[in-house]
Amino acid sequence: MITLFGKRIRLFRPKSIWIRKVVQWGFFVLIALIAVNHTLAESGGGIPLLASASLHAVCPFGGVVTIYQFATVGTFVQKIHQSSFVLMIISFLLAILFGPVFCGWVCPLGTIQEWVSNFGRKLFRRRFNHFVPVKLDKVLRYLRYGVLAWVIYMTAVTGTLIFAEYDPYFALFNFWTSEVSIIGLVILGVTLGLSLFVERPWCKYACPYGAVLGITNLFRVFGIRRNENTCKADGACSIMCPMNIPVDNKTVVRDHQCISCLECTSEAVCPVAKTVQFSTRVAPQAAARSAAGGSK
Amino acid sequence: MTLTSKTLAAIVVVVLFGGIYFSSAMGWWQTESTKEAAKITSGEFAGQANPADIRGSYTFGDVEKNFAVPAAVLAEAFGVKDSNPAAFTVKGLEEMHAASAQEIGTSSVRLFVAFYKGMPYDLSTDIYLPESAVEMLRARNLTSEQTAYLAKHTVPNLGAAPATSVPGASQATPQATQMPSAQPTLKAETPSTSSTDRVVKGVTTFADVLGWGVSQATIEKVLGAPMPAAPGMKVKDYCTEKGLNFETIRPALQAEVDKVK
Repeated sequence: MITLFGKRIRLFRPKSIWIRKVVQWGFFVLIALIAVNHTLAESGGGIPLLASASLHAVCPFGGVVTIYQFATVGTFVQKIHQSSFVLMIISFLLAILFGPVFCGWVCPLGTIQEWVSNFGRKLFRRRFNHFVPVKLDKVLRYLRYGVLAWVIYMTAVTGTLIFAEYDPYFALFNFWTSEVSIIGLVILGVTLGLSLFVERPWCKYACPYGAVLGITNLFRVFGIRRNENTCKADGACSIMCPMNIPVDNKTVVRDHQCISCLECTSEAVCPVAKTVQFSTRVAPQAAARSAAGGSK
Repeated sequence: MTLTSKTLAAIVVVVLFGGIYFSSAMGWWQTESTKEAAKITSGEFAGQANPADIRGSYTFGDVEKNFAVPAAVLAEAFGVKDSNPAAFTVKGLEEMHAASAQEIGTSSVRLFVAFYKGMPYDLSTDIYLPESAVEMLRARNLTSEQTAYLAKHTVPNLGAAPATSVPGASQATPQATQMPSAQPTLKAETPSTSSTDRVVKGVTTFADVLGWGVSQATIEKVLGAPMPAAPGMKVKDYCTEKGLNFETIRPALQAEVDKVK
């Protein structure tokens, strides 16, 4: 860490939040094992000491789609269980405090998209994640709310888990079973293919659960905050953001697409210490320094 | 207050697993359905388990527990040869009868249980039972309406030879069931596809229906909506997508197919 023109700059900074990668790996492996174990258990086998729940039982979005039926009839949509409800509540609690951390830290579909995107980044370098025209991209970002409305409406009308047929997450962890539909596999393939060009395409444009959790960015307790007085305005935070949020022109990120990955913070890509932080408010020291700098 | 990535990671993991542990301790963490059928809330059978709530994930043992219909009876009725019928899942019937011209599955078990228990059941849709199940029900107290319904909704047992057949024909022909008032409307069991048996079911596509001679205008009249651009789409998928009840559309469409036979 050196001080240059009154600003503390980290010379050798980590490019990524490594602990997030560890957590993502952990959840990916856990869900994969549970899915495999479910198949084994159905055929009379199974891995001891490991849960053999169905994928629906460990997906919080199942809780969301069954809310209507639960409120009106008092039962769950077929294949949805009480555990989905529990996970939904836990995820909401986390989201109210920290935003959609479930998307950025837990969701295995987001994780696998990031893995594919690593190749895309190497292939296309600076063009990666900037293929979609900005105007079109802005409009497409709201598509996931349409998907959410459609899923909730259709589930309420049919009383069945209609989204399972189209869900790439379900296809990812069930591609070896007869339960998965061709259309689900196609959507998964398209999602992974697009991940070579765009970071997290499913999350950005189509994920109904991301749409639900994204709303919490508007009022989450902890948020991404940028101290504009210590900011070098080098745009590194915006370039690194997987969701293309222009962090460098915001003081508080309230964008509905933020996934709380912390990749834009001073802990990762931002070269100035305590300038982009995940906090309830701008750190007092930084505020004081910025106030002093501002009065010069 | 500022959080570092390590703190956030710890919070996420602790809250998720802690929440699961807590809910588990409270008895809220259930990853399987309770296998307890919903109760009928009104009428003569109020308070009794509702056969309409039987799920595909139920085993015959679960059905026995809820409705006091022995698993062995269910196995015999549906031709299940499993050594442990109580462990056989209801949804397994669909796979077992995959080659059948008519669907034998969860709805068949619901109907069987209702009739076996002498309970009423919604007969507005077509639900089919194998002959063996129908034979068992005939010994129970059925109303004339139920008897007549069964007469029209019986399919031959698995592996049963067709009652009538056309020598030399490559495909089985329609056959009557063994019921006294059976009508020769049902197809023999063949592994044929929907495009050959002219029976509207889950796998039937719009192309199949068009191929059977039903015009697009007639199909759209039945649907009350325009046909999809891709005729290869399954009628059932279309109904699901448009919020239509397939069980209502299917008989109406079948009637149109029958008209052009």
